[in-house]
Amino acid sequence: MSKQISRRDFLKLAGLGAATTAVLTGCGPASRVVVREQYIRMPEYTFNGQSTYFATTCRECPAGCGLVVRTYQGRAIKTEGNPLNPVNLGKTCARGQATLQGLYNPDRVTDPLNQGRGGALSANKVTWEEATGVVADALNGGGAAFLMGMAPDHLYDLAADLGLETIRYSALGAFEARATLTQAAETMLGQKGMPFFDMGNADFVLSFGANFLETWVSPVAYTRGYAGLRKGDRGRRGLFAQVEPRLSQTAAKADEWLPARPGTEGLVALAIGRIAAEARGLAVPPAFAGVDVAAAAAEADVPLEALERVASYFAAADRPLAIPGGAALAHSNGAQNAEAIFALNALVGNFGRPGGVFISPLAPGVDEYHRPANMQEMADFVARMNSGAIKTLFIHGVNPVFELPKALGFAEALVKVPQVISFATFPDETALMADYIFPDHHGLESWGYQRIVTGATRSALGGAQPVVVPFYNTMSTVDLLLAASQSSFADEVAFIQSKVEPLVADKNANFNAAEINAFFAYFQQFGGWWSNAEGLAAPSGGAKAVAVEAAEFEGEGEFYLLPYMSPVLGEAGANKPWLQEVPDPMTTVMWNSWVEINPDTAHELGLENDDVVRVVSEFGAVEAPVYRYPAIRPDTLALAFGQGHTAYGRYAAGRGVNPADVLGLSYNEAGDLAFAATRVRIEKTGEKRVLSRLESKLGVYGEGLGEEH
Amino acid sequence: MANLDKESAVSVNLTNPEEGKWGMVIDRDLCTGCQACVAACAMENNLAFVGEELSGNGRSMHWIRIERFWEGEYPEVKATPFEPTMCQQCGYAPCEPVCPAYATVHSQDQQLNLQVYNRCVGTRYCGNNCPYQVRSFNWFDYERPEPLNNQFNPDVTVRRRGVMEKCTFCIQRIKRAEDTARAEGREVADGEFAPACAQACPANAIVFGRVDKPETVVSQLAKQARGVKRLEELGTFPHVTYLKAG
Repeated sequence: MSKQISRRDFLKLAGLGAATTAVLTGCGPASRVVVREQYIRMPEYTFNGQSTYFATTCRECPAGCGLVVRTYQGRAIKTEGNPLNPVNLGKTCARGQATLQGLYNPDRVTDPLNQGRGGALSANKVTWEEATGVVADALNGGGAAFLMGMAPDHLYDLAADLGLETIRYSALGAFEARATLTQAAETMLGQKGMPFFDMGNADFVLSFGANFLETWVSPVAYTRGYAGLRKGDRGRRGLFAQVEPRLSQTAAKADEWLPARPGTEGLVALAIGRIAAEARGLAVPPAFAGVDVAAAAAEADVPLEALERVASYFAAADRPLAIPGGAALAHSNGAQNAEAIFALNALVGNFGRPGGVFISPLAPGVDEYHRPANMQEMADFVARMNSGAIKTLFIHGVNPVFELPKALGFAEALVKVPQVISFATFPDETALMADYIFPDHHGLESWGYQRIVTGATRSALGGAQPVVVPFYNTMSTVDLLLAASQSSFADEVAFIQSKVEPLVADKNANFNAAEINAFFAYFQQFGGWWSNAEGLAAPSGGAKAVAVEAAEFEGEGEFYLLPYMSPVLGEAGANKPWLQEVPDPMTTVMWNSWVEINPDTAHELGLENDDVVRVVSEFGAVEAPVYRYPAIRPDTLALAFGQGHTAYGRYAAGRGVNPADVLGLSYNEAGDLAFAATRVRIEKTGEKRVLSRLESKLGVYGEGLGEEH
Repeated sequence: MANLDKESAVSVNLTNPEEGKWGMVIDRDLCTGCQACVAACAMENNLAFVGEELSGNGRSMHWIRIERFWEGEYPEVKATPFEPTMCQQCGYAPCEPVCPAYATVHSQDQQLNLQVYNRCVGTRYCGNNCPYQVRSFNWFDYERPEPLNNQFNPDVTVRRRGVMEKCTFCIQRIKRAEDTARAEGREVADGEFAPACAQACPANAIVFGRVDKPETVVSQLAKQARGVKRLEELGTFPHVTYLKAG
């Protein structure tokens, strides 16, 4: 080629000497101490105009997706999915994308504080030496308990090693009804563990309230499963039906939506089982034999033809799969509902078959699956706080004042605990009620590991490393605990290395290393460790008897209340401004809360869009504008969980309402909160507050055009 | 125009703006409406957030939005398949001829609609003339309190008041990939890079690549019988193909 290289091209080529997309191994100068330097004195591994990429694990929810973070001159610029991580294979959700707005949030806790339980963020800074002394005294004083987020991570392991009472909780787990799911799985599959639903290889998915495209369990992994179902790798596009009282974002993708009356999901499952068993020419198991299909359809308030149609899909499919989750399990009969739904899988014999139900592989370092606390256990914990049995409460990675139902009285019990120490990164409601805030680094500034509970088909441990130097005067909580307990570990990295060291011997993994230092360098480079061996376990269970009682509800109101986890905000996304400005997928509302109500019901009550109503239960009341939602049962109201903060930074505070304020306190047999079992009434306030919506303000049916249209 | 480099003019296929160079296929059957692309776009392209009041007035700065409509009434009600909607990078773009400042022009090199911020004088004619309503205008300078500015992508200009903006197909990533490939003496491989939306998409509903090369994934997908262009009757020749659901 005779083409001459222009001066411009030459300069471009000269600038590209170094590989542009290499992920640092972490064994260079960035390995242990990452320094954000001035522009004029950059660390030796950075080149002007070149980015450096670090692999780590997302901390925005407990799913444990792998991230690769692009950094540029010591600043984190963009998060992308880690293509190697078996949970998310290079993909991310909106929350993972917005994690940088937490890192660089203008409202972080910048220094260790003597908060003194003041209402506003204290200005009384303490030194980290003083903080270490406070924590050491608390550890030595006895009666210390540690309340932490749901993810089983290295902090959880350290707290357990220190002999602290630990309790893991997140509103995400409560809205998934995770304890119910795992208890029913154990009963029906005959094996303890987190069930894995092989959606990608199924050809008909029947989901009862499981919002697996939103926040449920491991949404990025299950979205991949959903795509596999639709792409029909087996030559045919798989079908999908959803049973729930409100058409959620997940149900919006379904071919059939059965708006069953809340609490009748188990009954619907039994009816479908009976029809399917007969259609398949099977002997109808006793579980299904006692069901009168027409009566069940009437009780569930769904058309008999629709029920039969969904059942016929289930019967005709080669690889049908039924999934229990979310609000379907959050009733007084939720555990029975879950068992009835699992019984559908037993009926078609899909336990351990492709496209069926498996047990998720255990992450390394655990002997069995340990679930987070259910609401019953949280209630017991609150009782112990009230009784004075807990002398010091450490809180990390969870905001219980916001995330627990108000009726549980956590905030009142917190006042009675002699000493409360928060490790919050942000000034959330709980942290403001603490005696001290000793802020942990943001997740992108932290070392760590996290056991992958589900989503991956192999045993996996997500690894985390700092992608930037800590921005503020924060300190790793693990380092603080190690110092306070006068541990023999030099620092957090030494502790983590001691925990991952047994994996060096396992040679059938994503990398191999001869000894721990090389192992740890690879661990950082890959963003974790995962086995090469397929780890899904085929459960042994078979058909079992199930019986479903009628659901019981609390209160006298005329409406069922359906609270659901905001698909975009999740339980802790409200402080990130761009997540606030990402529209809710179904209503397109931004920056606020709303009450979803069927348009016909609204018409009867004389309610228009944006009319503020008060939703009243026996336990509390919240006020929010009406959104006339076309796809919700006329007897049901829905409220998204995620807004309604009184603190948590400028973008979250004073915005919207928290449905946890109106929830009752009944539990199902698995000890999960029956959050869908509260009845409410609504009162007009006469006010109007215009919601910010991306969609046209003319409204769904053009009602904004005026009466004559 | 007399001095136009003949060699490059041949290589960029100027004779066929209908086909273009880069294109996208969006599978409406796979899109779950999860908004990961919306957030990813905002993070990559230094989009400003405008707050509750202004976003309620239709002044949010989304370069990509997910449309859904309702059909029917309860209980026979359905949401239409989610449709991620961004600049369709038209071959014959209605925004281009109306700009008095040549701020929105067609790139010969990339066959894309460019928005040249420092030429834009804010007439908003382009936004008015866009049938897809995908352009957003900076009505104000929007506050990004310290230290949020640390997150700025150095490859993307930060816009200020009075300037129109829109999806660029992440042209900074296109340029980077092309530069890298040229430095290594090769062609850009199919799937070597993706715009932020496609890279994030958990369902792989958004696929990006060369539409002028028949062997690429995006060309293969666009040929499917389910493929449609939006508002095709306007003759804009969009470079985004939507695959019908179901």
